[in-house]
Amino acid sequence: MIKIRDLEKIYRTEEVETVALNKISIDVKEGEFVAIMGPSGCGKSTLLNILGLLDDPDNGSFLFNNIEVAHFNERKRAELRKHNIGFVFQSFNLIDELTVFENVELPLIYTGVKSGERKKRVEEVLDKMQIMHRRNHYPQQLSGGQQQRVAVARAVVNNPKLILADEPTGNLDSSNGNEVMSLLTDLNEQGTTIIMVTHSEHDARYSHRIIRMLDGQTVLENIMV
Amino acid sequence: MIKHYVKIAFRNLAQQKVLTGINAFGLSVGIACFSLFLLYAVHEFSYDRFHTNAGRIYRVVEWWQGEGRAPGGSGGMYTPVAEAMKRDFADVEYAVRLKGADCFMKAGDRIFNTSITYADNSFFNIFTFPLIYGNAKTALQQPDQLVITKEKALQLYGTTNVVGRILEIKTDSAFEPYTISAVAENIPANSSVKFNLLCSFERIINHPEVQKSNKDWYMTIGLEAFVQLKPGSRLAYEQNRLDLFRKKYYSEEQKPRKKGKKAEKKKEPEIQTSFRLQPIRDIHTNPQIEGGTDPKNIWLLITIAGAVLLIACINFTTLAIGRSAGRAKEIGVRKVMGSQRTQLIGQFLAESLLLSVASAITGLILAHALLPLFNQLADRKLSFSLSRFPELPWLLVGLTLLVALLAGSYPALVLSSFKPILVLKQKIRVGGANLFTRSLVTLQFVLSIGLIISTIIILQQLSYIRSKNIGFNKENVVMINAQGIHSKKIYPLYKEAIQSQSGILSVTASEMGLGSGEGQMGWGFTDHLGQVKGVIAYPGDYNFLNAMGIQLVAGRNFNPSIASDSMGAVIVNEALVQQVLGTTNEKALGMEIRNAKGDAATKKIIGVSRNFNFEDLTHTVRPQMFYRPAILEPSRIFVRLQAGDPRRHLALLDANWKKLVPDAPFEYHFLDEKFDNFYKNEKRWSAIAGWAGGISIFLACLGLFGLAALAAVNRTKEIGIRKVMGATVTNVVALLSKEFIMLIAIALLVASPLAWYVMHDWLQAYAWRINITWWVFAVTGFFALLVAVTTVSVQAIKAALTNPVKSLRTE
Repeated sequence: MIKIRDLEKIYRTEEVETVALNKISIDVKEGEFVAIMGPSGCGKSTLLNILGLLDDPDNGSFLFNNIEVAHFNERKRAELRKHNIGFVFQSFNLIDELTVFENVELPLIYTGVKSGERKKRVEEVLDKMQIMHRRNHYPQQLSGGQQQRVAVARAVVNNPKLILADEPTGNLDSSNGNEVMSLLTDLNEQGTTIIMVTHSEHDARYSHRIIRMLDGQTVLENIMV
Repeated sequence: MIKHYVKIAFRNLAQQKVLTGINAFGLSVGIACFSLFLLYAVHEFSYDRFHTNAGRIYRVVEWWQGEGRAPGGSGGMYTPVAEAMKRDFADVEYAVRLKGADCFMKAGDRIFNTSITYADNSFFNIFTFPLIYGNAKTALQQPDQLVITKEKALQLYGTTNVVGRILEIKTDSAFEPYTISAVAENIPANSSVKFNLLCSFERIINHPEVQKSNKDWYMTIGLEAFVQLKPGSRLAYEQNRLDLFRKKYYSEEQKPRKKGKKAEKKKEPEIQTSFRLQPIRDIHTNPQIEGGTDPKNIWLLITIAGAVLLIACINFTTLAIGRSAGRAKEIGVRKVMGSQRTQLIGQFLAESLLLSVASAITGLILAHALLPLFNQLADRKLSFSLSRFPELPWLLVGLTLLVALLAGSYPALVLSSFKPILVLKQKIRVGGANLFTRSLVTLQFVLSIGLIISTIIILQQLSYIRSKNIGFNKENVVMINAQGIHSKKIYPLYKEAIQSQSGILSVTASEMGLGSGEGQMGWGFTDHLGQVKGVIAYPGDYNFLNAMGIQLVAGRNFNPSIASDSMGAVIVNEALVQQVLGTTNEKALGMEIRNAKGDAATKKIIGVSRNFNFEDLTHTVRPQMFYRPAILEPSRIFVRLQAGDPRRHLALLDANWKKLVPDAPFEYHFLDEKFDNFYKNEKRWSAIAGWAGGISIFLACLGLFGLAALAAVNRTKEIGIRKVMGATVTNVVALLSKEFIMLIAIALLVASPLAWYVMHDWLQAYAWRINITWWVFAVTGFFALLVAVTTVSVQAIKAALTNPVKSLRTE
């Protein structure tokens, strides 16, 4: 599903040049659950952003479902992203002005799904995430665990092929964190590919494979059994 | 999607109530202000367009050019011209003469002073003044028929169906009956042709003065002539045909003019006089023809309105950028969720549109409420009439969309351009004072400061011309209207009755009035260079100069005991001595002068008076002469009162008037007010510019308030750290105010030369004018700074007083 080769990302300021990704190459197969680990500043979030088509690489190749997307323009990236990729962030990134229902509905609006169909799909996914009773609440009225469940619901409502999770349990206590990890595992078992950036060895154990990074390069891969 | 946009827009606007409120209120005030000014401009440019055949109706004007003077003309026309045009030009479909006059009207026991208009039968064929009752074809057929307006009918009878009623009107010596033949709809405010009472021209055709003018192609009696051309006629543009017409009736103009030796040496150009046809739609806004207003003023007003609206829009934009400060995350999330940039632009524009529609509605309600006040200010009777101004709704809808686009496009374009990952990582701070918002705030203050400087200069000039010694004493003088009474007989009796009463200092009279709205009588005199120069004549009582406080600089005053003083003696002013006689005051004494046409008796100069400004101060003093006619028939009686409360004296004048003239109302004006009226326009403009300046400063401060609030929010962490490091409240206030003070200083530097240039140009229209002084700029700058610092300080003090621990925790 994902094949990146010699990917480079360099951040430049007037005086300093920081190599965030240094000719990195990774493959992720469809249906895999991959965890990316490494110390702060090793480039794992940069990698996740490029994989999520939120950022573009400076050099190298990025094949997404055998299509070269490394140098797609913003419009094409948005188009590909909204149909194929779901995101879960550490800080949830729910829109405070929208209710739970409306937050989950958002990706469907941008993919042009009709109102009736949207309602049906949002309710289904809220039900699945056991957050239906909170559908008319605003994010600030929910606990952290509930907010992240809404974020997961929003990430999956469009049935994406890939979910990118950036430290999804980082802002949660262990009980809520476990709950979110179970949700991601369930989704993966149903066929969704998941790539997760985490600092937590505990969370990483939910994955099939751990890629360890240092200074913008992969240094080790652990296959989980 | 649209529903989603609207929903989000509502929630976002509701969440930031104060900023939204400031934003919407500012825009509402801007739109209200602009709508009123727009209404004024639309009204001014809509004059006379309501006539069905407006495109074919022309006023006959006399046009002069040459002699080094700016070309110009007058609508005052000679009595026989209209008929001659109808006769001589096959493409003149109709011709009409219009002559206005003052008259007394009796309704029951009451006597009113009103105006009456005499018009030829073709009046209703040319002009579109719908009749409520009566028949346009027959309404002016008989000389005793009268068409009355609905407003006048209601005023007199309390009803509009008054056809057949008899109205007694006195134009000469006695009241005469007129039969109301028709009732017309009220005359639109944007009509150059106006009437209350309309009567057939036949009624006055046998009046000696009209008869005389009908034979004399040079005599004017204050009459206007209009023609309606047949469809397709190009007569108005075929000047050669009009010139041939002129030549036919004014053959002596073609003869070479007698010139003095000096004139020949100097090769003075001659004045070319011609007839022209002025489109009726051009009458109101053509300043070259007497009575026309300068469209420059209308454009100036539109510019001021545009400036105020621009300030409101800038406010809207800066505050919208400000309001979006907390929306970076939302933009990032939306982009991550797949929103295209165009969709985000659409969302922000929808919000902007929603707010501008709400502001436009509030603005229009505000404008409607303020309309009476504005009418007073603009001296107009404007109304938001869709039937009269069908273009108004489109202009307003266009305006709202334009405002939404102007104000919403910058935030929409900027916010939607952010990279999602950067906003989600909070690496971009949206809103606040960047170069763009700083420039906008500076521009706001440039406009506001410019308007305030202009207002102060207009007010200074007004104060100067009001306080200027105009050469005679206009204070405490009551000018009584003696037109339409048997003044030849009444005046001496009235004078006798009141002059010895206490509080009455002097009584005099003249056949001409003084001040704004009073006519002038002019004669042509050949000057020492052989040119014909206009001289303003004042046939008055012996004591006219003394009573008015006009000083003599040479010679003597009129003396009732010298018989020749009422035969051929004349007192002239210094301007006449210099411009017409080209000599000194002393040498002028004893000289004999005669009018250019030579049809009046020779007059001998017995005195020279100091120049006095009998016109507004845009003019220099023109040549004048005073004489005592053998039979004085004054139209104005002047009574100088003792200074103080005039009520008792006025009651005395009124009581004596009623005893002598029971059938005419006691109508008077204070002379100083009549002179003040010369500057009605200036007063109006200073009030309008003052209001616009005040509103723009207010709006600019609203914007500044919002920006200061944002600056305080954006610098919360910095303020917290500085306070921990020992900064005082004053330090923090200074920190936050410094930047804005700099902007105002830049605005002052930009606005000052611009305002100086515009006002210097404006002042050139005055023969007597002030010098623009530096302190106007200093005071305005200080005022703008004070207002701005106060506004910013409110926010700065609030930020400075916040507990630093809280500030740091927030960050």
